[in-house]
Amino acid sequence: MDQKKQRRNRQIFLIVLLLALIIIVSLISISVGSVNISLKNVVGILMGWDIGNNTFKSIVMDIRLPRVLATVIGGACLAVSGLLLQIFFRNPIVEPYVLGISSGASLFVGLVVLGGYTFGVKHVTPMFLFGGAFIGAMIVMLAVVFAAKKVKNITTLLIIGMMAGFICSALTSMLTAFADKESLHGFIMWTMGSFSGFSWLQDKYLYILGVPFILLSFLLSKPLNAMLFGENYALSMGLSIKTFRMIIILIASVLTATITAFAGPIAFVGLAVPHMVRITFGTSDNRILIPGVIISGALMTGVCDLGARMLLAPTELPLGAITSLFGAPIVIYLLLRKGDDL
Amino acid sequence: MNNVIVAENLDVGYEKKVVVEQVDVCGIKGQLICLLGPNGAGKTTILRTLAGLLAPVKGAVQINGDDIRDMKKADLAKKLAVVLTEQVSLGLLTVYEIASMGRYPHTNFMGKLTQEDKEIVDKSLRAVNAVHLQDRYYSELSDGEKQKIMIVRALVQQPELIVLDEPTSHLDIKHKIEVIRILHKLCMEKGITVIVSLHDIDLAIKGCQTILLIQNGKIAAQGTPEEIIKEGTIQKLYDIEGAQYNELLGSLEFTNSQNPEIFVTGGNGTGIGVYRAISRAGYGMYCGVLHENDIDFHVGKALNCNVIWEEAFNRINDINYKMAQKQIESVDYVIDTGFPVGNINRLNVELILNSVKIGKTVFALCDKDSMKNRYGELAPKIHCCSNIQEIINYISKNKYLKGMKTCNDGISIINRGQSASI
Repeated sequence: MDQKKQRRNRQIFLIVLLLALIIIVSLISISVGSVNISLKNVVGILMGWDIGNNTFKSIVMDIRLPRVLATVIGGACLAVSGLLLQIFFRNPIVEPYVLGISSGASLFVGLVVLGGYTFGVKHVTPMFLFGGAFIGAMIVMLAVVFAAKKVKNITTLLIIGMMAGFICSALTSMLTAFADKESLHGFIMWTMGSFSGFSWLQDKYLYILGVPFILLSFLLSKPLNAMLFGENYALSMGLSIKTFRMIIILIASVLTATITAFAGPIAFVGLAVPHMVRITFGTSDNRILIPGVIISGALMTGVCDLGARMLLAPTELPLGAITSLFGAPIVIYLLLRKGDDL
Repeated sequence: MNNVIVAENLDVGYEKKVVVEQVDVCGIKGQLICLLGPNGAGKTTILRTLAGLLAPVKGAVQINGDDIRDMKKADLAKKLAVVLTEQVSLGLLTVYEIASMGRYPHTNFMGKLTQEDKEIVDKSLRAVNAVHLQDRYYSELSDGEKQKIMIVRALVQQPELIVLDEPTSHLDIKHKIEVIRILHKLCMEKGITVIVSLHDIDLAIKGCQTILLIQNGKIAAQGTPEEIIKEGTIQKLYDIEGAQYNELLGSLEFTNSQNPEIFVTGGNGTGIGVYRAISRAGYGMYCGVLHENDIDFHVGKALNCNVIWEEAFNRINDINYKMAQKQIESVDYVIDTGFPVGNINRLNVELILNSVKIGKTVFALCDKDSMKNRYGELAPKIHCCSNIQEIINYISKNKYLKGMKTCNDGISIINRGQSASI
């Protein structure tokens, strides 16, 4: 009984700690940049006090705060999506990027951004962008799920996902050959993954789409736990597996599509965060894991975004590079230290 | 009636392909039913169908009179639990958490355990002696403990029926026995009906009340172990080659296909070790004269030795004695296993003595002190050995030397041939 309580206390402590870290990292992220704003001023502006500097205020409120809010929800979406896919495929190394879902979303975003003019779309609205990303993500996801029914071997499945990703990437490159220069530059920047230039409008879409699906995945903790036992056990416990499968695919696709549409494909958050949380929290119980993954995903993306901006300032690095650079060694370290299977 | 599960004339399989046809299963409360059959016979398919994980190709499975296809999944889960062979990825769940997942069909939306749920989990952990494991992670458990926990989980579901697919595979003998004992206890004390597929013939025969033999897409036989397991049943069921299964003893012996080179006596179990050792060393043998109620007789038979046997409790008759003597004449070595001598097998000692007289090499596995008593004045001519390995070493060495000799003879013949041609 003691051990159970100890474990629970540790998990609560970790959640509080991570939440505090998110706030700290966010504040730092808002304060530093090409124009440094002191933490005191940042807090003041956020609290709505008049600090007597309108430039600072507009930098914080119009540029940096929307960006930080985007990284928070974006990281949460990616991490939860990765966790759901890992449970769904019963495999520890799947994530939206590995399975080619991000590439599918990229292709369709490319179609919208680069080919939009040809198809008679004058102005790319966020909803249009999301629609494209969602269709792309769903098509690849369904293709992989369909393949998953045919082949039971998980390695084969991963290869199929990767191949689907390659096909999408190839088509995307073909698109870029025909695109006009101006939109091409924007698209290339987008494919490297970045939270720069997020507006309140984009944030609104991110939160409206992201939050409900993240909450929904938390509400599904109990059946997700049953899924850890495999489909047959889950079925024998009374779970309607077919409906549940569709719901999981839907949630994972929406979450991936949402974030990919606005911030571009970002690797590794979906893969690394669930592992880090499982090991540090010491549980596979999704009722604890999902909140942990949401918070840690937000934190990791926040830290990486800060790194992308600051490491070689004033040049901003691609976010995807930083997430991989940060995430991969952490996962390896945790695995080696823990030394067991996930 | 208290039939918990009934399936009549059931065809099971995948989609349209029938794997096993005309399955009839009727499980009453507290019964332990075992499916026995070779790999690929369709045991898992039958179990999956009975558990509602697979739709029957024809027919229906009823639990308490209700067709399981018409039942809600959650209602079925309260009546039936499973233990499968599937790989689970539960690494970082504790034993307690896994066990409490058995409350799945009973708990609320978020799976919160009530006081009653907790008591059921505790009780179930106690029932299978797993309380001490409750805070351990699944990944830290041994295979046997893992299997036990999956049984606890099924038990926590509080079903009337548990279906288990090969729960004893990969386990050592201690855990195999423990699993069967737990299942037995569930049947007897909790009145749960258990349907299980096993690979261990012995466990099935000795631990289960009803056995279904599955072979070639059919139920070959069904009934109590005593009714259906006859001599040769298992041999035929599994199509065993190169070994013989003895249903009476529940033991398996590798068959010996060598030509007999040694004559070995036996009786009262003194032969078993000797026969097995000789067979392992790669020699064929005659065994005799054994009584048909002697354990040596059954092992000798199973080893495919050439056995001369006498009816139970009868004095060895002349025909058998003469036959044995003929066999002794055809071999080089005779081994006395040191069997106890009584009225009905006294002639076996005569056989030994005769072997000495006709010049065979005779070994005896008995005390030096009792040699005189046993063989009288011929005792000095018999090699007294303390274990069978000594004898085998002696025979192997001699055989090798003999081989060398024939080889040399061959060479000298060739040489002579050459010189002749010159």
